[in-house]
Formats: sequence, C-alpha cells, structure tokens
Amino acid sequence: MNYLEGLAQKEMLRAQSWRRSAVWLAGLILLGIAGASLVGELEPKLSGMAKFLQDISIQKGWPVWIPAAFFIFIPPAVLLGIMMGLPMFVVWWERKVAAHTQVRLGPMEVGGWHGWAQVMADGIKLFLKEIIEPDGIDKWVFRLAPFVVFIPAYLSFAPLPFGKGLVVLNLDTGVLFLMAVSGLSTVGILMAGWGSANKYSLLGGLRGAAQVVSYEIPRFLSCVPVVMWVGSLSLTRISAAQSGFLWGWLPRWFIFYPVVGQISFAIYLITTIAETNRVPFDVPEAESELVCGFHTEYGGMMFAFFFLAEYSYVFAGSLLGAVLFLGGGAPLFSFLGFIPSWAWLLGKTFLLVFVFLLARWTLPRLRVDRIMDLCWKVFLEWTFVVILAMGFVILWRVK
Amino acid sequence: MKFWDIKEIIKAAYDTLQGFLVTLKYYFSPAVTYQYPKEKKPIAERFRGVLAFHPEICISCEMCVRVCPSDVISMAWQRNEATKKKDLLWFQIDYAKCNVCRLCEEVCPTKIKSIHHTIEYEMVFEKREDFLVRWGPSTADTVTGGAKSQDWYPFTAAGRKEANQTKKPGKEVAA
Repeated sequence: MNYLEGLAQKEMLRAQSWRRSAVWLAGLILLGIAGASLVGELEPKLSGMAKFLQDISIQKGWPVWIPAAFFIFIPPAVLLGIMMGLPMFVVWWERKVAAHTQVRLGPMEVGGWHGWAQVMADGIKLFLKEIIEPDGIDKWVFRLAPFVVFIPAYLSFAPLPFGKGLVVLNLDTGVLFLMAVSGLSTVGILMAGWGSANKYSLLGGLRGAAQVVSYEIPRFLSCVPVVMWVGSLSLTRISAAQSGFLWGWLPRWFIFYPVVGQISFAIYLITTIAETNRVPFDVPEAESELVCGFHTEYGGMMFAFFFLAEYSYVFAGSLLGAVLFLGGGAPLFSFLGFIPSWAWLLGKTFLLVFVFLLARWTLPRLRVDRIMDLCWKVFLEWTFVVILAMGFVILWRVK
Repeated sequence: MKFWDIKEIIKAAYDTLQGFLVTLKYYFSPAVTYQYPKEKKPIAERFRGVLAFHPEICISCEMCVRVCPSDVISMAWQRNEATKKKDLLWFQIDYAKCNVCRLCEEVCPTKIKSIHHTIEYEMVFEKREDFLVRWGPSTADTVTGGAKSQDWYPFTAAGRKEANQTKKPGKEVAA
C-alpha cells in the first residue's frame, strides 16, 4: 500500500467512524428509552414486593422485626452498591471525555469493548497495593481521614430521590441535610492535609478547607429560591412541584423560570464544581503546584476512598441539580411522558455530569485569591439578589 | 471585581461558553490516533527503518564499512583465486549503534543495493548480544571466517524470523 493511499484510507475510516458513532449513540439512547419504558415506574413494583414480604411474614408467623430489618438494611445496601458502581462508570466516562476532547480514544484494550473493564482492573490494583505510611505522620488522623471524607459522601445520598418514590430516607429537611452532611468532608480534607506531615498536603488541606467552607454558602443560598417557591425543603416535594406544563408546553422546571431560575442554576452549577474540588477550582490538589494536594501521601485503598468520595460528590451534586432545577423526573415534552421518571432523572443527572467532566478539560485552573473573590464578591451578592427577587415574586403571588 | 458589573459578567459567560463550544467541537470529531498493534500508520516510501543486508549481492567492496559514521558494519572477505573475485566470509551489523542515516545505502555500488533500509520499524532485542546480527557461518572465527559451505543467517529483524518482510531482497533504488 502506498503511503498517500494509506493516509487517504485512514481519513476515510475517520469519516466512517463519525457516522458509525452517531448511529451508535442514537441507538444506545433509543435502546435506553425502550428498556426504561419496558421496565416502567419502579415504585409500584417495590411497594408490591414490600407488601408481599409483609404478607408472607404474617402468614408464616415470623417475628415483626424480620420484614422491618429488610426495609432497614436493604435500601442502604442498594445505595452502597450504587455508590461503588456509579463512580466507577463516571471515572471511565471521565477518561473517555478527556480522550475525545483531546482527539484520541482513551482506554480501548481492557475488557474488549472500549476498555470498559479498565476501571475495575485499576480497582483491583488499588486493592492489592500496600498502604505506605510515611514517617512522622499523625497516625490516627492520617488513617481516619479517608473515611471522614467518604462517609459524608455516602450519607449525602440518603435524601436524594432516584425517581418518583425511589428515596431511601424521605426527609422533610432534605436540602438542609445534604448541604450539612456534604460540608463534613472538609474536616476529612483538613485531617488528610494535617496528618500527612507534608508541606504540600498541608497547603492543599488548608486551601481545600477555605474553598469548600466559603463555597458552601452561595451553594446553599442558590437553592433557597427553589425552596422558597415550593415552600418545602423535602427533595421529593420539590421534584413533584416541578411536574406539569405551563400553557400546555413549557415544563415547570425551575430553570425555565425567567431570570431567577437561570441565575440560581448557573450559581449552583459553578459552586458545585468548586465544592467537589474539580477543575477549574481544583486548588486543593493542584498537581502542578502541590503534587497532589491533600492526598499526596495516600496510596492504595486509602487513595481510592478519596477518589470514590470525589466522584460520588460529582454524582450527588448533579443529581441534586437535576432535582432542584431540572424538574426531577418530569418529562421535557408531554408526549415523552411514557418514559419513567427514574430514567428522566438519570438522563438529566448524566447530562450535568457531562458538563462537569467537560469543564475539567475546557477551563484552566483559577488562582486561589480569584476563587475567593468570585465566591465572596460575586456569587454571594447575586444569590442575595435572586432571593430578594424571589421574595418579591412570592409577595406578589400572595397578594 | 464588582458584582453589579453585568457587562463584565456577560463577557465572562460568553468567553466560557466559547471555550465549551471549542471542546465540544473536538469532542465530537473522530480521533486522529492509531490503535497501534491492531492498526499501523502508513509508512512513507523512503522511511529509514531496520537495515537489511543481502549477502548474495554483496561484492565485498567495504565502502559501507568506511562510510559508516558509527562503526556499525564490520565484515571479512577472501580472494577467490579461480574467479578473481572477493568472497564474503561474514558480515555483521551492530543495531545498537546504527543511527539510521542511510549513508551505507547511498554508497553501496551494486546496482541492486545489497545493504539498504527497509520500512520495518519494529526492532526489539531481548539481550545486548542480540543487537549484533551476523550474516555468515554461525560458528566461525571472527577474523579468518569459516568455510563458505556453512549456513548463512537469513536476515531477521529483531533476530527472529520475519513473516511479513515487506521489502524482498533486491530493492531497486531510483537515482
């Protein structure tokens, strides 16, 4: 084969791959829609199962605590499974997004189809690695830090609805609980930075603490307009309040509320990226300045816990954004109502996750003082403006 | 930074959005990379790859030995009294030292070059001794050489039998 012919052939293959991947994407989306609508809403099935279990236990004369124990232990176990499985998918997806943004392919070998097993292989590697503790560390602080980061990440999934009626803990104060619990991870970041006996770690930990604590405020305040409008902190009620259509075609998602919705959604999105310590706000682990920031000295599973926590926060933040601003499980058009609510919610969540991942490969890292400026001098004021505007709207509605 | 400076905020948002559009454009454009072991990049005709040598064409003139800047090539020959020609005893290329400059190929006087570069680039050796590839009797004194009747090494890149040797012996080089 001639050199030029070879290049021309590669060009042809590239052109074909464009079409092939478009067909693949459309096919996957259609297949997902078809599968989801075949499965249907999960809530009646689950409540049917629960009722079946209760009936059986009454029939057989089992003690009362057996079905009760099922309801106590099964949902958290399912949640743990979701929390272990989804970050793995998000990590794989992140590597793919990184690769395709840089016009390459990413992991393609492990597992056969587009390197789907790469993350599992990495996980096995992390499991088998020795955990090295450097000299001069604060032992208990060092050892506890990954769990202090990870456990709030797990807990923050509790009040999040995964669809209509699919919620582990239907709290009346869902938004408040989520914000409060996810703020606890800061302590873990600070502990990791302090315990590592490493100047880079300490700097990273302090930066992380400063950043996360300050971004907590505009993040929570950007959710307040939604809470004010709905009149409840419960996430299930908030997502239920956004179903239906205005004038028959405009969905009642909060993002479609003029001005107020868009501003608070933008602030929520940016502050969530900052809250999860991701690029462009990744100063706590800025690898070009601080090696790896607060988790420089961690290896093996200890590192994996930080990693899992970060990606579950990304997922939890996207899920919360979808519930608060993108209407939860409500469909975009009324004729798409046959798709069950959990599929809608997952679709919106993955759209937001994609924005998170793409932001990492689009924007350069901000300077520390500018991050702080942005938080205290721009976002905070705008959240106040939005809350004020929302208050006037509510006053007008009451009148 | 003033938060009421809406013009500035709109400009920043516009710039960020532009960045996202650029990355999205590249995100959806097909990859330029080659999945190497499965898919190989086309090689240009005059690519300088692994050196190949054909003892049946060689006239033992030692031009390549003299021109080589890295002392890669060494050889020994013997005058054949019957034909009045030089008979090649052995010929050796040290691939560890070769800097792939094509001087030996340019200087080779035979019409069909007896030493030339191929477009093969997959050259892997497991031991340092393997870098020395020798054409000639396998068990021979390096100075005097052995008998001509003994086996000659066939050319192998990386010291192994090459199934997909793209350039067959007798590559004709255009002037």
